[in-house]
Amino acid sequence: MPRYPFIVLLCWLVCWDCFTTGSGFSQSVAAEGSGPKVDFVSQVAPILREHCLRCHRPGNAKGDLSLATIQSLRENDFILDGDAANSHLLELITGSDDAPPQMPADGEPLSTGQVSIVRDWINQGSDWPDDFVVQHESKGGSDWWAFQPLRSLPTIDDDSNPTETIDQLIDESLKKQGLQRNPAADRKDLIRRATYDLIGLPPTVQEIQSFVNDPSPDAYAKLIDRLLASNHYGERWGRHWLDVVRFGESVGFERNNIIDNLWPFRDYVIRNINEDRPFDQLIREHLAGDVIDPDQPDTIIGSAFLVAGPYDNVNNQDAVQQAQIRANTLDEMIRATSEAFLGLTVGCARCHDHKFDPIKQQDYYAFFTSFAGMVHGTAPLASDEQQSKRAALIQPLEKQKREIEAKIAAQKQAVLERAEVNRDVYESRWTRPPVDRSGTTESFPAISAKFVRLICEAQDINPKSASGFRIDEFQIWSDEPKPRNVALASAGGKASGRARQIEDFPGAYGPQLTIDGETGARFMAVGSDLTIELGETTAINRVVFSSAMDEPDPGHNKFVFVADYRIETSLDGETWTEVANGDDRQPAQTANSPDGRVHREHRLAQLETTNDERAAIDDLQKQLGLINDSIRQIPTLPSAWVGTRSPELAKGPFHVFLGGSPQKPGDAVVPHSMHVFDHVANTNSHAQDFAYQLPADSAESQRRLELARWITNPANPLTPRVLANRVWQYHFGAGIVRTPSDFGYMGGQPSHPKLLDYLARQLQQHDWRLKPLHRMIMLSKTYQQSADYREAAASVDGQSQLLWRFPPRRLSAEEVRDTMLQVSGSWNRSIEPDIRVPDGGPGFRLYHYMQDNVSTYKPLDEHGRETYRRAVYHQNARASIVDLMTEFDQPDCAFSTPRRARTTTPLQALTMLNHQFTLDMSAALADRLKQESDQLDEQIQFAFQLCFGRSAESDEIQPCRDLILQHGLVAFCRTLFNTSELIYVQ
Amino acid sequence: MTFNFNQIDQTRRQMLGRVSTGLAGIGLLDLINAGRGIAGQSAPESVHHPAKAKRVLQIFCPGAASHMDLWEHKPMLDKMHGQPMPGEENLVSFQGKNGNLMRSPWPFVAGGNSGKAISSMLPHLSKHVDDIAFLHAMLSKTNTHGPGCVFMNTGHDSEGFPSAGSWVSHALGSENENLPAYVAIPDIRGEPPNGKANWSNGFLPAEHQAIMMSNQMPIRNLERPGSIGVGAERDTRALLDQMNQRFADRHPGQSELQARVAAYSLAAKMQLSAPEVSDLSTESAQTLAMYGADDSNRLKSAYARNCILARRLLERNVRYVNLYCASRASGVDGLLNWDAHKTLKADYERHCPVFDQPTAALLSDLKRSGLLEDTLVLWTTEFGRMPTHQQGTTGRDHNPDGFTCWMMGAGIKPGVSHGATDEFGRRAQSNPTTVWDFYATVLHLLGFDHQRLTWYHNGLDRRLTDVHGDVIHEILA
Repeated sequence: MPRYPFIVLLCWLVCWDCFTTGSGFSQSVAAEGSGPKVDFVSQVAPILREHCLRCHRPGNAKGDLSLATIQSLRENDFILDGDAANSHLLELITGSDDAPPQMPADGEPLSTGQVSIVRDWINQGSDWPDDFVVQHESKGGSDWWAFQPLRSLPTIDDDSNPTETIDQLIDESLKKQGLQRNPAADRKDLIRRATYDLIGLPPTVQEIQSFVNDPSPDAYAKLIDRLLASNHYGERWGRHWLDVVRFGESVGFERNNIIDNLWPFRDYVIRNINEDRPFDQLIREHLAGDVIDPDQPDTIIGSAFLVAGPYDNVNNQDAVQQAQIRANTLDEMIRATSEAFLGLTVGCARCHDHKFDPIKQQDYYAFFTSFAGMVHGTAPLASDEQQSKRAALIQPLEKQKREIEAKIAAQKQAVLERAEVNRDVYESRWTRPPVDRSGTTESFPAISAKFVRLICEAQDINPKSASGFRIDEFQIWSDEPKPRNVALASAGGKASGRARQIEDFPGAYGPQLTIDGETGARFMAVGSDLTIELGETTAINRVVFSSAMDEPDPGHNKFVFVADYRIETSLDGETWTEVANGDDRQPAQTANSPDGRVHREHRLAQLETTNDERAAIDDLQKQLGLINDSIRQIPTLPSAWVGTRSPELAKGPFHVFLGGSPQKPGDAVVPHSMHVFDHVANTNSHAQDFAYQLPADSAESQRRLELARWITNPANPLTPRVLANRVWQYHFGAGIVRTPSDFGYMGGQPSHPKLLDYLARQLQQHDWRLKPLHRMIMLSKTYQQSADYREAAASVDGQSQLLWRFPPRRLSAEEVRDTMLQVSGSWNRSIEPDIRVPDGGPGFRLYHYMQDNVSTYKPLDEHGRETYRRAVYHQNARASIVDLMTEFDQPDCAFSTPRRARTTTPLQALTMLNHQFTLDMSAALADRLKQESDQLDEQIQFAFQLCFGRSAESDEIQPCRDLILQHGLVAFCRTLFNTSELIYVQ
Repeated sequence: MTFNFNQIDQTRRQMLGRVSTGLAGIGLLDLINAGRGIAGQSAPESVHHPAKAKRVLQIFCPGAASHMDLWEHKPMLDKMHGQPMPGEENLVSFQGKNGNLMRSPWPFVAGGNSGKAISSMLPHLSKHVDDIAFLHAMLSKTNTHGPGCVFMNTGHDSEGFPSAGSWVSHALGSENENLPAYVAIPDIRGEPPNGKANWSNGFLPAEHQAIMMSNQMPIRNLERPGSIGVGAERDTRALLDQMNQRFADRHPGQSELQARVAAYSLAAKMQLSAPEVSDLSTESAQTLAMYGADDSNRLKSAYARNCILARRLLERNVRYVNLYCASRASGVDGLLNWDAHKTLKADYERHCPVFDQPTAALLSDLKRSGLLEDTLVLWTTEFGRMPTHQQGTTGRDHNPDGFTCWMMGAGIKPGVSHGATDEFGRRAQSNPTTVWDFYATVLHLLGFDHQRLTWYHNGLDRRLTDVHGDVIHEILA
């Protein structure tokens, strides 16, 4: 029989994000020997699926074999129907005494029982039902809890009080474990908890006092309403959402350029959350704001969500790599979208069907079609009216500008034509060879010099410019029998000249490189001259300069050189004598102008232009300048980082990429809703218009809009569940589902499923507004209970997952910094009551931004007063480290961060103790204490009120007093900023 | 692992397994959930099998250091210099079109008893070839520096994933609680492509991030501010300790409050230990000379001092040291790193002397002191370069299809070359190895099965080796 050995190809697995496979799932042994009729679907297919399909499937057919259908098995004689003994497949899966079976190559051999099943099946004729395809089955099916419609609660009346319902549902679960809720929290704790929770700031001393002393029964409800009405609410809850949508203000990857015009999206989030706009509408705007209201900048900006993530903007000339990079860019949008809104890891279905959830590769590429036209970048953010208004103002000016430019060009052309006539005369003066990048020599009668300079009048690639040239060595030779290069630094020379700068590597292109005696690195001029000061006054008679000495290919653009120049010397650095120039050289020849035409025309124009002509051109230039000024005075249209939409890229047809590779297109894909909900259409009354499918040539805008509508369709159970769970998580530290962006099989089961569905329905019933949800949660006894620890309860539920106590929490990085500003009076609502929210404009920076092709973010040692703003307005760049913020777990925004880490590290201690910001805040707080009182004990009490919201107890005062008397108030304030009590909420 | 537990259990399981110790930090959640007390008292993840290596030194030459000009001799390039590359005459790569084959500007010279030939630009390193295991057929999946560096450091070509050092910190914790478990030493010329993403903790807790330090740059915020006297500091710390302890005592069941007290005391220890480790004044003149620490080339002396710092960190049992030689792609290719697009000869004649002697001295030192026996040394770069010159230049473009990395030290078979590119150096040909294989091997030597060292993040149990990787047994001793 023919042999088709498995050729183990070097298989470049293109699987970007996959799954971790474990050992196989054992199959139950069905039969031994030639038993009863084998059923392919229930007995054979599972074996192929578990043991073979990972390597042998469409798109990853190792050994050119796919086991998805019988075709490939038959074609290659792996199976001879009815003849197992001669079927190669059986040989491969059966071991001999001295050798294990060849297949499966990875993993455990098949059991004897499994081999028997395959043998019997072949012997019985290898019956494979028509059209049956062996596919991976995800672990979770469409019957997974998260895909089921929201349940209503039979035990709860529709008109029951939601707050009581929440308590009732929490108590139900507690009771099952024999637990009960803590009693109500102390009022001081409660106002501190609620204030941080809703606005991310500590309550003021007055606020605490008036709440604690308010006898009215609805004091607490009034507090919540006041906080919900505060503009600072949007700053706190907007920040949560910015974490979820991986909002970051640099592009990431190699260049990581900062983005200065994405802040309008930040403000959009803060503003809309403050206004409590329906969240389903916000989600639709995130995906298709530009489609929903193309004339409304405040709506368009929502769609910046799609381009708020990192992407690779290095221009790759390799087409295969470029296609992959583009696919990666869309992948980022798909992940961000599905995780933020649906709580699904659709990204895992990029290379193959999702291993754990019922998400098909087709579903992934349906998302792909929806975003295919999106391109990162800046676009005008203006209404049609604004745009046409501006166009009307600018068009006449543009017309005038073109006319003048044409006149100048005509004038220049006339000069050039005349010069061509006289060309021979001029050229006859150009007797010497052109400049040589490998070394240009100028000899002259000996002259005594202390300074020598090279003045560039035209560089060789663009003669209109007199800068940008490069010099690797500049030699100055002494007039003596054995000439010396007296320019060398080792001979006492010093070089100066304006050079391109790299901030964190000074001198990278500096003039010192021209006199170091080495080639390879070169001076890059930003000005038009290079000056060498000699160690001592010397008689010299020759200079040699170059930009590409020892280079095999001096013509490369990297070695821009001078074309027209003068060499001058001086004894005092003030009075200069010209000793040589290049005027009599032939025109410079360069790669872009090998015959020297560019330089020649430049020279001819210079030489031929009369004074009158020069004056006329100058006059036209002046007019042009005035027009340009007028154009500049017309305000530019607002623009923002909302991305552009490319009809070209959006054009189908689209295909599944087999194995995730754009080089391997598979089945065609059209925009459609996810298949997992197909069953919902039959069971849900809302569902008439739930599922959708669009034609392949539907408009790009339509595809995004339909997707947005589908995600927020009332019949979609995921979106309200995911959002309600996020709200719960931010109130209690952990969600009802603990993996807030993954409601799939690898994520969590809800700890309180009924409560989750109840909240999701409440959200829908309240028109997707968050504030009613906050209110019902925060008014519950569950929320208001104390954080007190009880050993007995903890032994049953150590993490308080069931909420027998309110879980205490540490402040977030933003809250820590905002608190320091607030407490010290450096940022103070009473001083600046009109603080604008959102504050508009680009954020402040706690790093120094440097760019030299790529970007570097260097944390600042001192934070100036301009940074005394709420941390939500910090311009968070990717892959940067910022003092305090990074240490306190502000995430890098490379990914969505649905739940922040909370670490305790010595680095936090070092920063909080030693960074200048702490010292500045300590000094400010000390001043504030002094203003409040000149009595030591009163100062201590006031400090305790500000920082902890309580008075100092009697035994606490003396140690504070001692420190202040010994080392001053500032030392005391520095201590307070490092206390745990300041940054923990009970 | 198995999949049939629910997520809550899984999350708990992860937390329970992951109490880290040492100065890099204490995982707060770890402490709460583990209930095992305070940092420094409990072991992190237990190893899967006995380890050969206790610590790792990873030297990284960013910019794609050319394999065929440094490590892998290609005599065919000499023979066919100036001729088109057979089969790829019209190659378009990262920066564009390629010209003909180009020989290495320098001869290769045999070294050691093995006679392994490496570039004559690396005379000092040539003395170590008998101890090195070369991987000449490495593969990358990207031809772009940023993703390439991040891929080589994290096993993933996009940002946000934990670096190898972070995984090791997570797996093994620290052996010296007065110093960080993981240190990144950037070059004086700046950060590598993609900057700090190269030593990021990604989604692992912040305690596993690398602490940045170098001879030129102390750890941030380490020093007590000049305006605060010794006495004020002592008394402040005492009051702080008292207040934080009181608060912790009054809030039982919040172990992070105890952790915070411990963190401040660990910080104080670090303030004593870190300056000591950075202080090279106790190094002998002979040692300084051996490394080139006082060389007139300031790039070389700076790197040499970082090499000495790396050794001192390893001596004090820092778990993972990531040492960089060169930095990013500046406006001029090949100026600040190994990215020789246009002028390979001049570029490498600047970079090799910076790299060669100090690195060789570091290897000699590790060997002499016996530290090499349980220290694994890795040399890495993000990908290789083309055998052709770039059109119109005398440099080489990016080549992700074949390049060289090497390992040495603990558990590594000395003096072997595993895998090879084709006769030109264009593509990995025999025994290709991937970044995932590379780290599967590293983790194996540290006592871990790379498939079982995982962390749940956004829907998946993530690994350093993604879903790939096979241990390269051929280079194991």
